[in-house]
Amino acid sequence: MKILICIKQVPDMESKFKINGEGNWYDRADLAWRMNEYDEYAVEQGVRLKEQVKDADLTVLCIGPDQVTETMKKALAMGCDRGVHIADADSYKREPIEIASMIAGFAKDKNFDIIFTGMQSQDRGSAQVGVMVAELLGIPAITTIVGFAFDNGTVQVKRELEGGSKALVSSPTPIVLTCQLGLNTPRYPTLPNIMKAKKKELLSLSPDTGGIGPRQETAAFYFPEKKGGGLVLEGDVAELADKLIQLLKEKTGVLA
Amino acid sequence: MKTLLVAEFREGKLRAEYTQLIAFAQQQQTEAAMFVVGSSAELPRFNGTLYLADVAQYGEYNPTVHKQLLLEIIAKEQPEQIVFLHSSYGWDLAPRIAVALKAAQIAEVVAIEEGLPVIPVCNAKLRRKIKVTTTQTVLTLQAGAFGLDEEPAGTPTVVSIETAASGKVQCTGYEAATIGGVDLTKAEVIVSAGRGVGKPENVAMVQALAQALGGEYGASRPVVDSGWVDHNRQVGTTGSTVTPKLYVACGISGAIQHLAGMKKSDFIVAINTDKDAPIGEVANVLVVADLKQFLPVLTEKLKAR
Amino acid sequence: MEFTREIYWNVGHGFTTLAPMYGLLLVALTVFVLGFLKRIKVYRLGQPLDRTSQRGERIKLMLENVLLQTKVFRVPGSGTAHALFFWSFFVLVIGTSLIVAQADFTDLFFGVKFLKGTFYKLFSLTLDLAGMVAIVMLAGLLVRRYLVRPEGLVTKGDDALMHGLLFAILITGFLIEGARMAVTEMGTPLAGWSPVGLVVAKLLTGVGEPGLRTLHIGLWWFHLLLALGFVAVIPFSKFRHIVTTSANAFLADRGPTGKLTTVNLEDENTEKFGANELTDLRWKDIFDADACTLCKRCQDRCPAFTTGKPLSPMRLVNQIGEIAFTDPQANLIDTIGREAIWACTTCRACQDICPASIEHVDKIIEMRRNLVLMEGEFPGDEVMAAMEQTEVNGNPLGMGYASRGDWAIDLGIKTLAEDSEVDLLYFVGCYASFDKRNIAVAKSFVKLCQAAGVKIGILGKEEKCCGEPMRKMGNEYLYQTLAMETVEIIKGYGVKKIVTTCPHCFNTLTKDYRDFDFDIEVLSHAVFLEQLIASGRLPIKAESFACTYHDSCYLGRHNDIYDAPRNLIRAAGGQITEMAKHRDQAFCCSAGGGRIMAEEKLGERINIKRIQMAVATGANQLLSNCPFCLTMFEDGVKGANVEEQVRPRDIAEILAERL
Repeated sequence: MKILICIKQVPDMESKFKINGEGNWYDRADLAWRMNEYDEYAVEQGVRLKEQVKDADLTVLCIGPDQVTETMKKALAMGCDRGVHIADADSYKREPIEIASMIAGFAKDKNFDIIFTGMQSQDRGSAQVGVMVAELLGIPAITTIVGFAFDNGTVQVKRELEGGSKALVSSPTPIVLTCQLGLNTPRYPTLPNIMKAKKKELLSLSPDTGGIGPRQETAAFYFPEKKGGGLVLEGDVAELADKLIQLLKEKTGVLA
Repeated sequence: MKTLLVAEFREGKLRAEYTQLIAFAQQQQTEAAMFVVGSSAELPRFNGTLYLADVAQYGEYNPTVHKQLLLEIIAKEQPEQIVFLHSSYGWDLAPRIAVALKAAQIAEVVAIEEGLPVIPVCNAKLRRKIKVTTTQTVLTLQAGAFGLDEEPAGTPTVVSIETAASGKVQCTGYEAATIGGVDLTKAEVIVSAGRGVGKPENVAMVQALAQALGGEYGASRPVVDSGWVDHNRQVGTTGSTVTPKLYVACGISGAIQHLAGMKKSDFIVAINTDKDAPIGEVANVLVVADLKQFLPVLTEKLKAR
Repeated sequence: MEFTREIYWNVGHGFTTLAPMYGLLLVALTVFVLGFLKRIKVYRLGQPLDRTSQRGERIKLMLENVLLQTKVFRVPGSGTAHALFFWSFFVLVIGTSLIVAQADFTDLFFGVKFLKGTFYKLFSLTLDLAGMVAIVMLAGLLVRRYLVRPEGLVTKGDDALMHGLLFAILITGFLIEGARMAVTEMGTPLAGWSPVGLVVAKLLTGVGEPGLRTLHIGLWWFHLLLALGFVAVIPFSKFRHIVTTSANAFLADRGPTGKLTTVNLEDENTEKFGANELTDLRWKDIFDADACTLCKRCQDRCPAFTTGKPLSPMRLVNQIGEIAFTDPQANLIDTIGREAIWACTTCRACQDICPASIEHVDKIIEMRRNLVLMEGEFPGDEVMAAMEQTEVNGNPLGMGYASRGDWAIDLGIKTLAEDSEVDLLYFVGCYASFDKRNIAVAKSFVKLCQAAGVKIGILGKEEKCCGEPMRKMGNEYLYQTLAMETVEIIKGYGVKKIVTTCPHCFNTLTKDYRDFDFDIEVLSHAVFLEQLIASGRLPIKAESFACTYHDSCYLGRHNDIYDAPRNLIRAAGGQITEMAKHRDQAFCCSAGGGRIMAEEKLGERINIKRIQMAVATGANQLLSNCPFCLTMFEDGVKGANVEEQVRPRDIAEILAERL
């Protein structure tokens, strides 16, 4: 069984973000980097599947500048067998379709049975790449999975729906699955595996979108006005309640 | 400009969020048609063409088939915008359409400013305004970003559609949301009690507010330590780290473990008598009030809506 | 007349006495030696460890511990009784040995007798009284064990054997003496020098000489058998502590106190880290079980045990012994139980009070290391999250690393990157960098330094967690990563002196970092501020206030810093009402051992218990010196509902208010 896991390196969301010189993305200075949280679940599910079927080969793929190999090492330490790094210093400018094209270009002749990835990235948050990879490869995709089982060439998954209910979905392989938080509990790599990971194969490829170019451009990149702006409300209790309800209506989706 | 709105049908019901699509179309003053794989028994209140495929035949979640149905309508209608909700249905189907149309897709639109869609980046810490270079655009709308001021009205002109396409993915049923066992990390709204609630009986006020907001209630460590609230409802680095859309901190001064466990919430309301409490630094809104007076009033007003 | 007595009176000094006597002694000694050899075989199942360095110091410590009973004496009551019993029994053993030495050696071969005259009178009196004291103390201990039955005291068959045998030896001793005196010493001036023997003799006078002689010879042999039996049974009963506990004082860890062993993570041949099997532990860890006397002092002081968590340091040590001698293949971690392993706060109360020099904490850390490094297991998801946060942002709170120095903006201090010409580096620590409550402490410390004209610098965003909580939780890999980075950065600036406001940072920098070639002077803020005041550089306007003071585990038991903080409080005008548990007996706040990162799911809250102790003093301020303690106490006063009664504060805050 061949499994591909697509991961992304993202800044920790606690970082102090600044806007870059081009004004189209965040500046890389002073950021702490980590594996996209959603992708950690993808890696874990891949490793668990390998533990289940025994005979499986796990490739982890990551696109970005050289520093992303640090994040790939974590995936290798968690249990992936080999790494593929598509070295692309400009990946931050790429649209989901370009990223998906690179992945599909790599995967098209490799016959992966299952491709796991996060349902979205924490920074760009488009939730598009996984589905687009499947479409480009012409295979099924199921998004937002919070439950997974594999038996005899068929996957049985649970899709998380709004409001907490879940859809029970099945499909034959090959397939792309995008993982939602809570799908499993990503493991903490053990020290022997961290050591082994340092010696695992890590292939470096140059970026190739197969001719697919950008379809959009960044017109502006900016900090939103602070919601409420650290607003302090004081006064009569009934008026306060009215003001707060109005604010919740305007600033959040919860009263819609 | 022509827009195709994609409504959703789940567990035998038309999802009411379709009104947000209408709100978007109204705000953009664009000519709109709607598409849904649904049932003639549950029609949206909408003045315009409704392309209706029978859910009994095509299923509620059947991406390949729904994609095919949609592509046929798009070929016929030639809309410039195909608009979905940014939901488990929308973000699953939209990229398939974008790939097929070779169109730009813009996910989780929160607003249209100067004619350009705006989307959040990095957990809404940043915003990006986008200019599209393709003739067709696929959009998904952030839940709650577009809303109607009044109830929608109207009756659609129904056009039934069919396809011969089939897919490999099968939806075999649903699993209801688990009741009882609380998982705060999944809650969209959390109302938490801190020591400021004063005594265990007052936790009920916090529970009532959580209920009125359709969310869960939680607590800070001291409240849990006092045994007023169960362990699995503790918010903080030594309990659950949560990221709801709305977090209401009632009488919580904001010890570091608590702050680190909730400050990634989208919107934070702190209700506290102390203006200088650390919670104020992460709160979007700080309501300076006595909980015992304020919470019941707020809860009543929310219920009365 | 010459004051002396006939040795081997009534028994005879011929071959028929000496041959069986020495024959039996040889048997007893053989059993004793074989018994211990068998146990040594089991000790050797453990990993090698050299505990023979600084031999002179070790011998001195052992003699102090054994002869002066220094550690035993620390607990009044049972400890006092044990010490008095030990001394009197020791005197009896010496006395008996002197008798043997004269009769079967000096007199036999050289005709030299020394048990005579005034020396004999004193000898006789001393032994007599020693026997009495031994009986009284033993009776006291018996009453405690079998009638008072203190909670948690484990009583086994061993204890009955020990009490029975010792009583029998002591009482037969007096009976033999009494029988002999009744025949030979009645009415002589010598009789008065054996007052207890005289009382027994008087009770026996009615028996008549032939009866007394029969009784005497019978009891003499019986007493001999008991004494030799005692020797033989040592390796097989709790009596072995006479040997093992004494030896353990020699073998004790020579410090630095609380410094953990640094695991070699570079060694490619190591496939296993930490301990999940007996054979992964060091031989001393198995030996410790044999040195344990089940005195339960550790258990009585353990913050986890006393708040209802499934950890007893005593039980843990003995479980290791049990599997060592019965089932060495058993899984160590399953035997001890994960919840017990995770419950430890590494407060060292157990190890500090242990009269047997047992090292509890290292064993727990070794098992934690195995769980973390080999299994990726933690006490809860929140701890795993804290580890990951530390990997990403260099602090367990998950705050953005770049904002680490933000608290100091506008305070007039610079980072070393901006200006490395400073008197000292203030190593701030995670809590004082990010937590508003503890930032107040950091600011107070800065204010004090500035008032004293000390130029300090910080590392700002270059500072990372020192790694202490991670290390104590068993994550040696993450600790070493953090430690090596920190060492490199600090050394890179040529820093001469470091001050911390966190005792955990202090202990780690000053001890654990030594293994990374780090020898820069590190001071805790309490000691540093005391120096400033003593040298007159920091004028404090004393202003009277009442308070109680909490000794943090890492300043107190780990570093013996008890007086500096108290001197500071006095310098500020504070009157300290001590809590019942203070100084080396202080009760942990619950946050040590990496527990600051973990949810306390079992039993009562440790911090609330400590807060209640503070409330009991009646003082309205609870002073401490540690950001973890402060954090726990701020939560604790709310949890215990005593916010109005006692306010937790750091010493630096009190001082800064009095500039």
